[in-house]
Amino acid sequence: MKGSDFPHLDSKRAVVEKCGHGWPLSRAGTRIELRHALRNLRREWRLPELRTLIGALLLSVIALGAVGTLSVRVERAVLMGAAELIGGDLGVNAATPLPRSFVDEAHTLGLRTSRLANFPSVAFANDRSQLLEVVAGDAAWPLRGKLVVLDTKVREIDAHSPPAGDLYLDHRALVALGLRVGDRVQLGGRGLRIAAQLQRQPGASDLVSLAPRAAMALADARTAGLLGRGSRAHHRLLVAGDPGAVDAFRTWAKAHLPPDADLVTPQQVQERLRVSFDRAGAFLRLSALLAALLAGIAVALSARRYARRKTDEIALLRALGAPRGFAFGGLLLTLAMPSLIAALIGAAIALGLATAAFAFAHGLLPPSAQNVPLPLAPAFAAAGVGLAVLAGFALPPLARLVNVPPIAVFRRTAKRSPRRFDALYLLPALVALGSIALESGTWKLAGVLAGTLFGAGTFALAVAAALLWLIRKQLARLHPALRLGASALTRRRGLSLVQTVAISLGLTALLVLAVIAPSLLDNWRRELPADTPNWFVVNVQDAQRVAVHASVQKLGATRINSMPVSVGKLVSIDDVPVEHVKFADREARETAQRQVRLSWSETLPPANRVVAGRWFPAAPRNAEVSLDRMWVDTFHLRLGDTLGFVVGERRIDAKLTGIREVDWSRFNVNFFVMLDPVHGGELPHDWIASFHLPRGNASALASFSRDYPNLSLIDVDELLDRAREIVSQVAGATRWVLGFSLLAGALVLAAALTMSAAERRQEAALLRTLGARSGQLRWAALCEFALLGAVSGSTALFGAAAAGAWLAHSVFSIRDYAPPWFPLLVAAAVSAIVVAALGLAGTRRVLRASPLLILRRG
Amino acid sequence: MHDGSQDRIALLSAQGLGKHVEGPAGRLDILDDVSLEVNAGETVAIVGASGSGKTTLLGLLAGLDLPSRGSVRFGGEELELLDEEARARLRLRSVGFVFQSFHLLPALTAEENVLLPLELDGATDAVSRAREALAAVGLRERAAHYPHQLSGGEQQRVAIARAFVHSPRVLFADEPTGNLDRRTGEAIGNLLFALNREHRTTLVLVTHDAELAARCARVHELVGGRLL
Repeated sequence: MKGSDFPHLDSKRAVVEKCGHGWPLSRAGTRIELRHALRNLRREWRLPELRTLIGALLLSVIALGAVGTLSVRVERAVLMGAAELIGGDLGVNAATPLPRSFVDEAHTLGLRTSRLANFPSVAFANDRSQLLEVVAGDAAWPLRGKLVVLDTKVREIDAHSPPAGDLYLDHRALVALGLRVGDRVQLGGRGLRIAAQLQRQPGASDLVSLAPRAAMALADARTAGLLGRGSRAHHRLLVAGDPGAVDAFRTWAKAHLPPDADLVTPQQVQERLRVSFDRAGAFLRLSALLAALLAGIAVALSARRYARRKTDEIALLRALGAPRGFAFGGLLLTLAMPSLIAALIGAAIALGLATAAFAFAHGLLPPSAQNVPLPLAPAFAAAGVGLAVLAGFALPPLARLVNVPPIAVFRRTAKRSPRRFDALYLLPALVALGSIALESGTWKLAGVLAGTLFGAGTFALAVAAALLWLIRKQLARLHPALRLGASALTRRRGLSLVQTVAISLGLTALLVLAVIAPSLLDNWRRELPADTPNWFVVNVQDAQRVAVHASVQKLGATRINSMPVSVGKLVSIDDVPVEHVKFADREARETAQRQVRLSWSETLPPANRVVAGRWFPAAPRNAEVSLDRMWVDTFHLRLGDTLGFVVGERRIDAKLTGIREVDWSRFNVNFFVMLDPVHGGELPHDWIASFHLPRGNASALASFSRDYPNLSLIDVDELLDRAREIVSQVAGATRWVLGFSLLAGALVLAAALTMSAAERRQEAALLRTLGARSGQLRWAALCEFALLGAVSGSTALFGAAAAGAWLAHSVFSIRDYAPPWFPLLVAAAVSAIVVAALGLAGTRRVLRASPLLILRRG
Repeated sequence: MHDGSQDRIALLSAQGLGKHVEGPAGRLDILDDVSLEVNAGETVAIVGASGSGKTTLLGLLAGLDLPSRGSVRFGGEELELLDEEARARLRLRSVGFVFQSFHLLPALTAEENVLLPLELDGATDAVSRAREALAAVGLRERAAHYPHQLSGGEQQRVAIARAFVHSPRVLFADEPTGNLDRRTGEAIGNLLFALNREHRTTLVLVTHDAELAARCARVHELVGGRLL
């Protein structure tokens, strides 16, 4: 009985020699697998679990893609908005006019350019004189934003730099000099006609423009000799155009910067706006990610159900002699084909929605966004993330099919894998964590979200397991009507646990989106209330302080606050002169060379938080200093280090005893360096005051300005407006994303509830056949789903509250955040009721159907 | 190779087969010391009460599972020495199955179900052979129907067409008439034996049906995991 008797049954070795890989399939395998997959798909696309799977993928790609596209566009638009504040997409500042090569390079890259100069100059008219902050621009200025002037009929007009011989003066300058539009004024030895009243100009609110303002032609400034050697003029070249070209110019300019020049980016100029925008981006991405992860849960549940359905098929194929690769490969192909198509369709819909949002939802986006081209990359990146989520969440249950033995075709019990733990089940967690980190760009947000979901999942699992244990122990004592439902839950223990965890995670994510996100936004909005200080007065002398307070109060100002300011220089760190300190980077070196504004206070100023060390004691023996964290990081300082400052003739050496985190987005007067009041008070100083003045009263400040000619007034209304605008845009966009999340949540719910539907149908049909009344079955189902709803609702309540507190504290830097308990409680209760009601509704169908039909269908 | 002498060679041989599983109450012996030889072209029925180990024995003989003790030789190959992939290949070329619950793939039509073993084997004339096989079981007109559109008897005929389409050496049938009414069961039995004769296939049949078993050349009875 040798191999020669049955040549076609020869040993494996011989087969391998004959066929290369041993399988006829190795030659045409992929083609056959593909054909098999296509045949399967022809019928299976109607399966609810496959539809849920594909629907979930579609939803997550749409949510991620639309939000990604939108947020990139909003980001560019907000930056463009910030660009309006500097008058261009990028600026190069220099003490002397920049070489011609900068303009040439910008033109080569297809960018528009504009040159301007800022300088202080004294204007004369009517025997009066007034120091003005003058901007002299060429005809192209501004490239971004608007220069708004008022004509003689007090109408607002968009303008460019005035033509040669003309000048724009702001209201304060006109009042101070006793002039009107149309009059003439002397500036730099030239007589210029006041063509209009200067209302708004780009760059006016970057806290540089302290004196009354004027705008003139660059050519006039040149001929008047205002820009010559020895002048105090600062030159700026502005560029604007395609974002890619701007980036290229930035790189080129960095490499060719003269020593006295530096780059000015919109982001740098408005640190406060940047903080707002970072929060905005985090919010949007958080919303989209939660929607995608919700979809991921639906994918996992559907994949589990699909895997169960396919177990028989895999066992049969194995029994018929299909190699393992064919059976599993065909399955993956069946899923991969519609998934790829769905991902592409999702990306296309996302782009369509983002375009539609731009076309119709004007309020959602800043007007400047209309000029931003539609970015394609985020939608395709979303398709990639969506597919990764699908693979990550669907693979674990499907991969188990690889191990389905052929004998399972006879014995159903053989289908169960004996392994209790499968490392593959870590895959969804890793994919979730990875995609959160990828999308949010911050591990902190990824950590908070992943931690919350993991915590909620574990909590739900523990509570559900404990409840099931308790039910099993007390089953005999339960009311007969409840016993039926309770015993069903304990019988399907594994399924009940998976169901509870999935629904709990889904509800937690939904509550975070629906209740927590709006409450965080509200808190954020409250940080910039209507009476946020919108004016700053600098240079207030000790003797003027009381009178200045009284004057602004008379004008209707509220929230008046003042802080002392000393201007000095950092001279040593731990007794080493700063000239000898080897700084790690240019930023540290430059910061050390700049003037430092020092202040002091007995109490910790608002919007400040001590993160290390302590705030000053009542009367410290030696001088102490408290620094903002940015300074500590820049100079790599530690508590206990000594910093030496020189203010005028005085020197002070203070020990670093506290590190603060300052919320710069709050528009309060804040300082990087604060000294203890005992030692700080001895330094020569003046005061900076901040207050809120309603917009209509601003003109009254002209007389105030005349009464205190040494003071400088700074208006931050425009900045405040923009920050508020960002908050409201984010609120709009978050609501929009919430729609997707609700859909994804509904998918999770549907997938979780249908998980046990087949088993429940069978059981119900059997019980009905045995004579159970429909009332009994309804009670059993109510008991089962009420328990499911109660566990998942309470998990979601605590999970969402914890996530809110965590997000507020560590991601959005919102202080004193209290989770909105009442809305949370209501939402959790409603969710629990919806879960129970939906479950019950599903059971009604079972009760209506003929038991015989159900039993026959199997 | 297909002369009369081959019929005397034991195509299938089991020696001292044992199979046990670990249950909650300890070890459970399903099969104990079963030895059996089946010659090429022979028809053998294995009968016995429910739980006597008939299906387990069938699974071991077909190489779907490995015994706890003893060995199975299939066409001269000792199955325990082959890995699962090699056993799958052996089944693909040499084994056909008919199951009690038909086991047709619900997403495939009748013709596509029959095509399956041929396509897995890379046959070039698969479609024409599948159509012939369907015609042989009288279902030429039902080729494009899905399993749920067919009656139980028709489904089992598709399964029989699938089992014979690649001319296997051995056909294993597990309660082939168990899910069918008496008349349909009889028709299926007739078809099975007719095709068996025509293809000179070795038939190993597990059944409760005494009449069906009686049509086999040999009948073995399993009692408590032992062959009488």
